Amino acid sequence: MLAIDARDVTKTFKSGWFRPTRTAALRGVSLTVPRGAIVGLLGPNGAGKTTLLSILATLLTPDSGSVTVLGHDVARDAARLRRRLNMASGRPSFLWSLRVGEIIGFYGRLYGLSGRQLRRRVDELIELCELSAHRRTPYSELSTGLKQRVALAKSLVNDPELLFLDEPTLGLDPDVSVRVRRHIADLRRERGMTIVLTTHYMREADELCDEIAFIKAGAILARGTPGELKRQIRLGDVIALRLDPPAVPWLAETPGVLRCAEVAGWIECTVDDAEKRLPDLLRALHAEGVVVRNIRVREPELEEVFVELAR
Amino acid sequence: MSWRAELLAVWAVVVRNALMASRNVFFFFELLFWPIVGVLSIGLMTRFLHLTPEQASFVLIGTIALSVVNVCQLEVAYAVLLDVWSKSLKHQFLAPIGIRHLTLGSWLVGMARGGALFLLLAALGWWAFDFRVLAPGWLPVAVFVLGCFLNAWIVGVFVCALITLFGNRAEAFAWASVNLVLVLAGLYYPVSVLPEPVATVAAAIPLTYFLDAYRAHFGFAPEFRAPIAAGLALSAVYAALAHWCFFAALQRARRTGLLLKMSE
Ligand SMILES: Nc1ncnc2c1ncn2[C@@H]1O[C@H](COP(=O)(O)OP(=O)(O)OP(=O)(O)O)[C@@H](O)[C@H]1O
Ligand SMILES: [Mg+2]
Repeated sequence: MLAIDARDVTKTFKSGWFRPTRTAALRGVSLTVPRGAIVGLLGPNGAGKTTLLSILATLLTPDSGSVTVLGHDVARDAARLRRRLNMASGRPSFLWSLRVGEIIGFYGRLYGLSGRQLRRRVDELIELCELSAHRRTPYSELSTGLKQRVALAKSLVNDPELLFLDEPTLGLDPDVSVRVRRHIADLRRERGMTIVLTTHYMREADELCDEIAFIKAGAILARGTPGELKRQIRLGDVIALRLDPPAVPWLAETPGVLRCAEVAGWIECTVDDAEKRLPDLLRALHAEGVVVRNIRVREPELEEVFVELAR
Repeated sequence: MSWRAELLAVWAVVVRNALMASRNVFFFFELLFWPIVGVLSIGLMTRFLHLTPEQASFVLIGTIALSVVNVCQLEVAYAVLLDVWSKSLKHQFLAPIGIRHLTLGSWLVGMARGGALFLLLAALGWWAFDFRVLAPGWLPVAVFVLGCFLNAWIVGVFVCALITLFGNRAEAFAWASVNLVLVLAGLYYPVSVLPEPVATVAAAIPLTYFLDAYRAHFGFAPEFRAPIAAGLALSAVYAALAHWCFFAALQRARRTGLLLKMSE
């Protein structure tokens, strides 16, 4: 069962009344998201991630293509769809002089909650998002991290089946980011929520997402699990060595070695397959009388995949 | 949507606007200062010019109507303005509500504010100039105030439409254009003194009819036949038109991305 089925979505923004400039933000994007999955959209600035999320959340009308979300066509059935989804962004903004409890209460009422049910929901969300100490603080007096938590609480007010998170941990300190990520993972595990998020933090994508779609210049370039993407891009594994003598020029010419670089006293050799190449490499070094003082083997990081794809 | 959900969505907007009004330090200024200054200065002017009590009431009714309409229409425009100012517009349009909930909810708060102001200005006029605004009795007063509120609703919704269409840069333009219309409504003079083309414009403004009907109670010959029915009918047409414009503007903002630009 698909939560999202978008096909050939395009969107071009026009700005300026007199001789408008056109920006093609999406050029034929197709994306499917199964129910209960966490899918990450990665891509450089201006790639079209927010645009895509906004279209899926009915905030923006696509120029062409078909978009079905939770079984509703976004063009024809937006009103019913809106009850079942919600969205939060990492740069949130709400009415400045309203207090935290009042903001969540306002949106709760918009989604049809009232009386005791509303009070219970507001209490629950304030508790969940660790806002108890700030319930009566005006929004304008909150720190970035607290504002983001208010946004997250607001986005859960209708217990959505589908949640869009646009850079949910933007500008948060590592400790808070870890907690927010844990919340997101819990939402899926405990409530079966489908979550589509964008992020610039590769750790986050690697940790949270079942699947990643890589967007660049308004098109999806690659799609898969973090592991699949790493293999698909064929970045190879990295064997890092601390050698004595430290520089060994012939290492780059060894079969299976794609490239070598010195990074902070370590020689980092990127090879097609670490398990296959490591014994040969050690044997050759030993034969040349080079002492191997230390060794580390790692898979490429998602960040390297990102850099490769964004190039 | 069920009736309950309809009412709740309207109530949500009422609570929000009321909270915002109570937080605004300038609330009392907005609500009281300028209207009081207006009534006092116009009242003193009528004395200086030695107007008859009838003429003085004619002018003062116009002043009070203008203040009431102003306060109420500003509140209606808050349906989008508050969120435009704080860049949070997208959240309320992500929720499963329609523009009717926004315009009705903010209108209810606007009527409460406008109603309070009307009573206050009436009391002031009575105390300072012995002018009895409430003399015609509660039904004519209620109809007149309703006329002011309807007019304010229409103007406020048009302002919402203009801002949703052009963004917050259009705010000043939106107010200027709708207030221009108000000035033509015969606030301080009978419509008959206006030159022909302007009089036609005045005759197209609902407030003109409600002023006309109310002034009849102070001894002025009505200029229109069945002014109340005409005012209500015109209001219904404009209210529908204003809502249609707001709706169309919102659809357009979703298409152009302006809705996103007006939010973080
Ligand atoms: N409301 C808008 N009006 C006009 N142009 C827009 C609007 N929103 C986005 N764009 C343009 O569309 C393109 C895609 O923008 P989008 O915000 O979707 O990128 P993004 O992938 O979210 O980038 P970032 O990582 O910086 O958030 C950009 O060139 C941007 O300038
Ligand atoms: Mg973005």
